[in-house]
This record gives sequence, C-alpha cells and structure tokens, in this order.
Amino acid sequence: MIKLKNINHTFSIGRKGHEHYVPVLQNINLSVEAGEIVSIVGRSGSGKSTLLNVIAGFLKPKSGRIYLNNKDITDLSETAHADFRLKNVGFIFQNFQLMPGLSAFENIELPLKIRGMGKTARKQTVEKIMLKVGLEKVGDHYPNELSGGQQQRVCIARALVTNPSIILADEPTGSLDSETEQEILALIRSLNEVLDLTFIIITHDEEVANITTSKYRMHDGEMMAVAAHAI
Amino acid sequence: MQFRDQIDFVRQHVKKNRMRVFTTILATTMGCAFLIVLASIAFGLQGTVEKEIMTDDSLTKIEVYEGSKGKINREKIKAIDQVTAVVKKSNIDGNLLIKTNYDKRSTMPETMLIDYKEAEKANIKLSEGSYPTNNNEVIIGYHLNSMMYSKADEKAIENNKEDKKLNVGMSASLLGKKINLIVLTGEKNEKVMTKKMTVVGIKEKPKKEWMMDSSILLSQKFAEELMPAIIKINPETKKEEVFYSSYEVYAKNVEAVKAVNTQLKDMDLSTYTVTEQLDQMNLLFLALKAGLIFVGTIAVLIASIGIFNTMSMAVTERTREIGVMKAIGASPKLIQRLFIMESAYIGLIGTAIAVAISYIISMAANFFIPKIVTFATKEDGFENNDIIFSTIPFELVIIASAISIGVAILSGWRPARKATKTDVIQALRQD
Repeated sequence: MIKLKNINHTFSIGRKGHEHYVPVLQNINLSVEAGEIVSIVGRSGSGKSTLLNVIAGFLKPKSGRIYLNNKDITDLSETAHADFRLKNVGFIFQNFQLMPGLSAFENIELPLKIRGMGKTARKQTVEKIMLKVGLEKVGDHYPNELSGGQQQRVCIARALVTNPSIILADEPTGSLDSETEQEILALIRSLNEVLDLTFIIITHDEEVANITTSKYRMHDGEMMAVAAHAI
Repeated sequence: MQFRDQIDFVRQHVKKNRMRVFTTILATTMGCAFLIVLASIAFGLQGTVEKEIMTDDSLTKIEVYEGSKGKINREKIKAIDQVTAVVKKSNIDGNLLIKTNYDKRSTMPETMLIDYKEAEKANIKLSEGSYPTNNNEVIIGYHLNSMMYSKADEKAIENNKEDKKLNVGMSASLLGKKINLIVLTGEKNEKVMTKKMTVVGIKEKPKKEWMMDSSILLSQKFAEELMPAIIKINPETKKEEVFYSSYEVYAKNVEAVKAVNTQLKDMDLSTYTVTEQLDQMNLLFLALKAGLIFVGTIAVLIASIGIFNTMSMAVTERTREIGVMKAIGASPKLIQRLFIMESAYIGLIGTAIAVAISYIISMAANFFIPKIVTFATKEDGFENNDIIFSTIPFELVIIASAISIGVAILSGWRPARKATKTDVIQALRQD
C-alpha cells in the first residue's frame, strides 16, 4: 500500500551562510499494507511529525522515495500532491483544524466541495458519514458549540468523506480527556474493521499505540519496529 | 470546486468581516463613482454640442466657398455623383433696407435670394404651402407674422421697460396673403422699389426653441428686378456689391457627404460640413474623455489600496484555514482563485453601487445646476436651454466597470499569490 524507502531529511539551523544541518529523519524504511493500523510513537523532537509531513507531501525529503500503491509520489508537483491528497488521503489532526465559520455538516462536506461534487450527492454522502461517526444530531452546530470529542468526530468524518485509501492521524487523542480518548480510539478501530481503512497514527501515547497492528518507535530521527499486535 | 460553491465560499468570508469589507466597498464605490461622474461631464457636453450642431444644420449640406484657385462651377458640381442640389444663396448688402408691410403692420425681415427649384430638390422643407412658381410669389420665415408690428405694438414694446410678455404681432397666418416688399437706401431712406408679393410658403419652425425666423426667401430672379432700380439711383453700382453669394451643395445622404466633399476639395474649393466639424469635435472630446477617465482612474487606484489591505489582512487572518484547505486537497490555483474572486466581489459590488449613485448624481446635476445658475445669474435663458451637463452612456458604464473591477482583481492578485504560498505545516501550527 504505502512504502517509504531510505527517507532522509535535515533541517537547517542558523543564519544564512552560517547554517548547519540537523538530521531529522535518518534512513527511514516503512511498509504499510492495506487495512493496517500503524502507530509511530516517540517523544517530542523525535521526528515522527516530520515523517507524517513527508508522507502527506507537505515536506519533500532530502533523499529517499515514497510509493503509494506502487506509484512513486515523491516528486509530485504541489498541485499534483494536492490532488493526490484529495483523492487518497484523509487527515485527523490533534487540534481538529475545523473551519470556525462552518457548521459540522459544512466542515465535513468541504473536501467534497473542493472535489466539485454536486449538492445533492454531497448531502447524501455527508449524512451517511455523519451517521457512521455518530454526529447525526449536531450537523448544524458550529465547532465552538461542540465538545472536544464531537469536534474530533467531525474531523474524522471530514477525513473519511472522500473515501480515502489511507488516513494520517497526528496525535488524534492529544486534545481529549481519557474517556473521550477511548471513544475516539474505539471509533478508529471500528472504522478499520468495518471499512478496512488503513491508518498511520503518530502519537506519544502508548495507549493509542496499543490499538495498532504495527508499532514503530522513533528516536532522534531513526525508526525501529517495536511490536505487532493482534487487535 | 463548482463555481456556485466558490461564490458561496467568498460570500461567507465577506459576511464574516462585514465592517471591513463595507468600508473597502465604500472606497471602491467612491472611486468608481468619481470616475463615472467626471467622465460623464465630457459625454454630456459632447452630446449638447453635437445636438447644437445637428439642429443647426442639415447633415447632408456642404457649404462651398471659392478657394484661391478654384471657381465655383455649378454645372460641374451638379455632375458629381450623389449630389442632389446646388443651392445659391445671396444676401443683400446692408446699405439697403428691406421692409415688409401688411395691413398697417410692418417689419424688417432678413432677406435672402435662393434658387427655389434647387432648394426644393435639396429637400428644404416648408411647414405650410408650396414653393413659388413665379416672381410674384414668396416664402416667409415661420415667425414673420408674429414680428409684424402695428404702431400700437411698437409703442407697447418701447414702453415695456420691465420686460413683461407682450401680446404683439400678428397671430393670423400670412399664407396666401399679399404683402408689400419695400427696398430703401440705408442713408436717406429713399425708396428704391416696392413690390407686392403673395406668400405661398412658410418655412419650417427653427429646431432651436429660442430662434425666431422672420426671414423672407426671394427668388434669385429678384436681383434682376432690383438692379435696374438701384442703378437708377446710383449708376455706378455693380451687382457683386449688392449681392453676396454662397453655395450649398446637398449630398444624397449622410454617407455620401464624405465622397462629395473630397471631390469638391479636389476642385480647389473650400468647404464646410457638419459631419467634418463633428469629426473634429469628436476627436477633441475623445481626448477630453480619455483625460477625465485617466483622472478618475487615479481615484479608483487609490481605492484599490484599500482592497489590497483588506485582502492582505484576510490572507494573514486565514492562514490556518488556507493550511487546512491545502492539507485536505485544495490546489494552489483554487486558493488563488478564491481570493481573487473575493477582491473581484468587492470590486463588483462597489462598481454596481457606484453606477447607481452616478446616475443619481448625473440626474441631480442636470436638474439642479441650471436652476442654481439661473438663480445666481438671474437669467432665464440658461434654464430654458437644453444644456446637458452630465450623460452616462452605456459605454461609459462598461469602461468604468472594467477599470474598477480590473483594478480590484489586480489589487487582490498579490495577496492571493501570497495565500497560495502558505506553508501548510506552519499554518496548521497556528491557533
């Protein structure tokens, strides 16, 4: 499904002309199969978020290749990458990243609008997804009228609505209390089971990592496989 | 993204910052309205001058004068293709006084000798009657009867120091009546000749409201009757000293004027046509209009600074939103288009309001300025004249809208470009 081959990346630090380079990703190799939930754990500054940005196409690695369904997506242009994300990738963010001026329904339908889908088809698709994630009663609510858990559900619904082949989640429970965290993890697990969705979850929370089929740990830009669970 | 959704998206954002967008639209409206109203003055004045020229003269008429080399040869001119008539007009020397009287009423008309046949061919229309068929018949001006004063009328005019409206002159038509034409010498008021003539035709009413036509149109043959009488008093008088002639060539239609005029010029004749004058005048007004539109555009450009600021602030404020949009798959082109559409939206609304306001200002100016000037100068003439100060033709609306919306789009272009360059990672880190 997704393959990372020898990914290396550095950040430059210091004034121009006096900068020095800090390696943030070192020779990363990762293979994720369809229907897997993969977690990448590590402390702050370990390079896990940088790795997610590289997979998403927000950042181009200094070296190495990224393949999705055997297609090399490393050197896609910005526009091609955007199109690729729109069709293949869903995002779950730690702080939800919802549009404050849009209702829950409108937030979820935003990727479909960008895709150019018609109003009627959009409505049907969004309503179906809202039902799946348990948001059918709060469609008209604005983000500031929703609880943290509901906001994260909206974020998950927005990620799912385009029917992506992979979902990238960056600390999906980082802003939630433990009870809500369990609800969201249960939802992710059920989505994986029911829809056979592939997840790559970046987290520092071992409890989150425990729901995943494969677990990788990152430390100083290097990655190692930790364990595989049967969920 | 479908176009309708893009519009919805823009409208949502405009609603969010109502006050800021309102002030920006206000600035755009003021700039665009200034441009339209300013340019409308040139359009208005051009219309007024054009109307003035067109009502004054026939468009198919070419006035012809003898040049330094070319002499007028009527037959040669008549032979030019598309010439319908060559009318000779002769004025009588100012040293001779012409007087008309009828039924104890008299006046001193402007007298002119013309070729009746050619005038008829040139389609110089009469309001009543027909063209004379013999030397004892005459055509008179539309207002000649109302200028025929009795002794009592003259006294009333003399005593009318407060400029009141007087009921003087004849109200009955002179058509079919026999009037006396008396020619006097200017110096001693010596009678040169008297002739009884029948009024068979009355000229058309002058197109300008304020014009009074008290003329008499005599046949060119009248010169042959008058000359012997003059020579009897002053034997050395020559015909050229008494009659000053000019020629009017009439083309078949307005389109033919240019070709006929060129051929007349080729004969070394000096010419004057209304269309030629209109062309020259239009060129002058074109320069004036371009100048005023340029000045007005400066106001629009000043307003565009507001749009630039508004859009730059919008991009800065919405950095996180732009980041999310890009993350979930919006292309840089779409982001750019949405911001350009937002600035175009401001330009469009501002322009639409400006057009409406400009029409109101234009109408108000045309209504109030004559009244104000009349009040200030205490003269009625100004109010009665059909002077149009401001006209907003459709083409001006199109030009101003194109400038205003174009400038709005251009001022939104740079902020929109900035939006496309938003770094997703940085943007998502914002609160």
